Amino acid sequence: MIAELRAIPSPDELNAPQTSPLLTVDRLKAYYKVKLFGVDREVRAVDDISLAINRNEIYGLAGESSSGKSSLIKTIAGAIRPPLRVVEGSVRFAFKDGERDIYRLSPQELSAIRWSRLSYIMQGSMSVLNPVRRIRHAFEDFALPHVSAKGADFTRLVERHLKRLHLDPAVLQAYPHELSGGMRQRVTIALATVCNPEFIIADEPTTALDVIVQKGVLSMIREIQQEFGSSVLFVTHDMAVHANLTDRLGIMYAGRLVEEGRTRDVFKKPLHPYTAHLISSLPRIGDEAPKKALEGSPPSLADPPPGCRFHPRCPFAIEICRREAPPMVEILPGHRTACHVAQADPARVRTVA
Amino acid sequence: MKAYLAYLSKRLVQFAVVVFVGINITYLVTHMTPINPVEQSISAATSYGATSPEAIEMMRQSLRQLYGLEGSPWEQYVNFWKRVLVGDFGPSLSAFPTPVSQLILRALPWTVGLLLVSTLLTWFLGNLLGGLAGYYRNSRILRAFGVLSMGLHPIPYYVVAFVFLIIFGFLWPVLPISGGATMASDRSNTLAFALDIVVHSILPVLSLMAVGIGGWFMGMRSLVSNIVTEDYVVYAELAGVKRGKIMRSYVMRNALGPQVTGLALQLGAIFNGAIITEQVFGYPGVGSLLISAVHSGDYSLVLGITTISIVAVSAAVLLIDLLYPLIDPRVEAR
Amino acid sequence: MNTLRILRDLLRYNGEFAIGLVLVLIVAAIALCSFFSPYPPMDVYVVPPDIPPSWEHPLGTTSRGQDVFWQLTFAIRNTLLFGIVVAFLSRIISLAVGLISGYKGGWVDRILMSINDTFVVVPLFPILVLFYFIMRDEMTWAMLAIITALLGWAYDARLIRSIAMSLRTREFTRQAVFSGMSTGKIVLQEHLPFVLPIVFSTTMNNINWSIGIEVTLSVLGFTDINTPTIGGMIYWANQHTALVSGIWWWVTFPVLLVIMLFIGLFLLAISMNEYIDPRSRLSRLGGQA
Repeated sequence: MIAELRAIPSPDELNAPQTSPLLTVDRLKAYYKVKLFGVDREVRAVDDISLAINRNEIYGLAGESSSGKSSLIKTIAGAIRPPLRVVEGSVRFAFKDGERDIYRLSPQELSAIRWSRLSYIMQGSMSVLNPVRRIRHAFEDFALPHVSAKGADFTRLVERHLKRLHLDPAVLQAYPHELSGGMRQRVTIALATVCNPEFIIADEPTTALDVIVQKGVLSMIREIQQEFGSSVLFVTHDMAVHANLTDRLGIMYAGRLVEEGRTRDVFKKPLHPYTAHLISSLPRIGDEAPKKALEGSPPSLADPPPGCRFHPRCPFAIEICRREAPPMVEILPGHRTACHVAQADPARVRTVA
Repeated sequence: MKAYLAYLSKRLVQFAVVVFVGINITYLVTHMTPINPVEQSISAATSYGATSPEAIEMMRQSLRQLYGLEGSPWEQYVNFWKRVLVGDFGPSLSAFPTPVSQLILRALPWTVGLLLVSTLLTWFLGNLLGGLAGYYRNSRILRAFGVLSMGLHPIPYYVVAFVFLIIFGFLWPVLPISGGATMASDRSNTLAFALDIVVHSILPVLSLMAVGIGGWFMGMRSLVSNIVTEDYVVYAELAGVKRGKIMRSYVMRNALGPQVTGLALQLGAIFNGAIITEQVFGYPGVGSLLISAVHSGDYSLVLGITTISIVAVSAAVLLIDLLYPLIDPRVEAR
Repeated sequence: MNTLRILRDLLRYNGEFAIGLVLVLIVAAIALCSFFSPYPPMDVYVVPPDIPPSWEHPLGTTSRGQDVFWQLTFAIRNTLLFGIVVAFLSRIISLAVGLISGYKGGWVDRILMSINDTFVVVPLFPILVLFYFIMRDEMTWAMLAIITALLGWAYDARLIRSIAMSLRTREFTRQAVFSGMSTGKIVLQEHLPFVLPIVFSTTMNNINWSIGIEVTLSVLGFTDINTPTIGGMIYWANQHTALVSGIWWWVTFPVLLVIMLFIGLFLLAISMNEYIDPRSRLSRLGGQA
């Protein structure tokens, strides 16, 4: 029984009004500090980001590569290693058994919540499983310390979990190289969810997969989320995936969060010019107009432009954008953006894009 | 299973190729030289004392047969192979009429024992310490060990053995520096005899280890420092798997494969080292036998040791290769 | 020049390279001293025998009446030269086999690598001893160099092959093939520059290996013992039981000098390897943070 792990959330609990969010990221700054041939360099990968993720929702995080989204989720997961370090701010989880500030926990306390409450599906499904041991051992190493079931009971628990995800328990006896890419990714997801965690971070879990397999994996994540009532932080640069899967969406650009809102609001009514660009570059059936490419390239995080980081590429940039970094402001209900232009006139970005 | 059979047959073919090419090299060396080996041997054998002309003539006869100089080149070649395949290298010239194979068999256990003990210890310790040094990068003791073993590593076996001989033979004589056991030892007392053998093997084993350990240490250290950045290690750390467990089952376990392959590739060089070390410490193994055979001009013994060395080392490599799938299940990928 | 910049970077940021270079330069300087030696290297009893290190004979004299220092300059010169010649010859074989095998692939690769693996696996020392046994007094310095080179190319050929194999799948190779370049031209013009850095570092290791062989064979008396080499010096010292009779300087100085050479070359090889390998360069950046 999964009840051995933790009580299945009752419908009441799931539908109860959300008082406090499950995850609160507050003014988080995490920088890479590198010494290159005697010169100190600072790369501001996560620069002053605040966001909140509620219970029972899929929160999408989008942005091109090197926008800092990988660094952000590593920081949220408490999985940073030098040279990346947290400079300021906090990451707090309100788990059912109490609140935890990730950067105030001892290594033991952190290990204890890992997998049981906070779990992670990593990028690169091909290589996250130990190539020289059977899959069974991965389940034992990862989940056994967090459940009360031991021995045969544990095996039964794992097998039941796999069956629920429509996986053949025989995969436990396989080596990773014997499975296909899609299968390996499903096994990885099963591994990440076997302890029924409250919060799951999924880092580009479908990027390396072909479209058909991708679809299967996405519906699997959706199914798990609905069944367990967990929250998922889903990271990908693929806007089409976000449109299909996520409840709310955050857009990152050059180490900062530039827009956040309900996914359908963001797609319908992008407030930030960068988001508008991302959405307009999605292919649409029947759309034969040539896509306009954004001029320039994302700035170096070691030496970002002053003011709004997007201004050198922004078609709407005005004087203030070059001088002052725009704050994140709620413009429409539940829809925030960091853009001077949109804050002055929310309609402007949409009409031109 | 099918993959293993394919792997198995590949390895067996490679073993056959190694033995075939190796033995052919010895054939070429002995037959393609401008020197007449028979006259060489006779002059070497007679230089130690006067021998009657009749005896020399008899010697010449038997040597011509032994060198396979009778008959056409093809017959010589075939006869050579026949001899090698049955392991018959004729009687030893220096210990006439003891067969060469018997001399080698008598010396072999000493060499095998020395090699087995020193190689396993070196490999195990080098990898263990190297792995720890790669995982715990800030340990001062491991760093100091790294510097020491790196300093010893590039020095050839002979020089290290020689330096050990100077230190423990002349400067601080605490260990026996010669022989495999005390000559007059009482062999009925098994325990004392075994202890005697162990004490005599300390210096040869130590000098073999001193040279060998640095290579494994450095190899393992760099392997581990690469493996710790692999996704499966990072992922296990993310999952809160215990450090010791990660070290054993993830990091070391994955580094094992390359290091076992490395052992197979190094066996030839390690064998060379053992030969030389034996000679320095007068250890009664194949190495000392080879050197003394050269000094006494015993051609059949030199040839016998060379060919048997080739076969024995190749067989040991084959054995490691056959066990390899136990360590890395991805045999077909190799 | 690019090479000069690399050299400067290595000297500044890589302590191992600097130490290695200093050690090798000291040894080379001693070898160069041989051209100013007041005594011919082959002559014996040119100085009073068995004198401990003194002002007049800084490293003492041997029981054969030779000055240890001046004898050492010739010995290290010959030994070093031997290593360089062997490394040069075996590099040619390694490069040829490695590049052809890696570029051609298929059955050419399989055959070449089978032979290659044989040379890796087979214990070479007994074969060298057998060779000496047959040649005896005909064994010259040059012949030993050639046979050592013929036996000592295999390990590095495999390394070069693996690089050539990865180069083969790269874009520029395909382009060269489509533009109709011949195999030889592709290998020499397009691939050789990529392989050269690794060849350079294997050269250091190969010099070490071949000097090790030379020293060992000479110490046992299995070479032309009249040409002064480091191994030859130790051989004569052993013949005169120098250690037992307390002539320690005859043995100690050659051993120390050759150890300096071994460590120097080895440090050059590993520091260059580290410089070539981008992965270790990355970890160096991370490690300093």
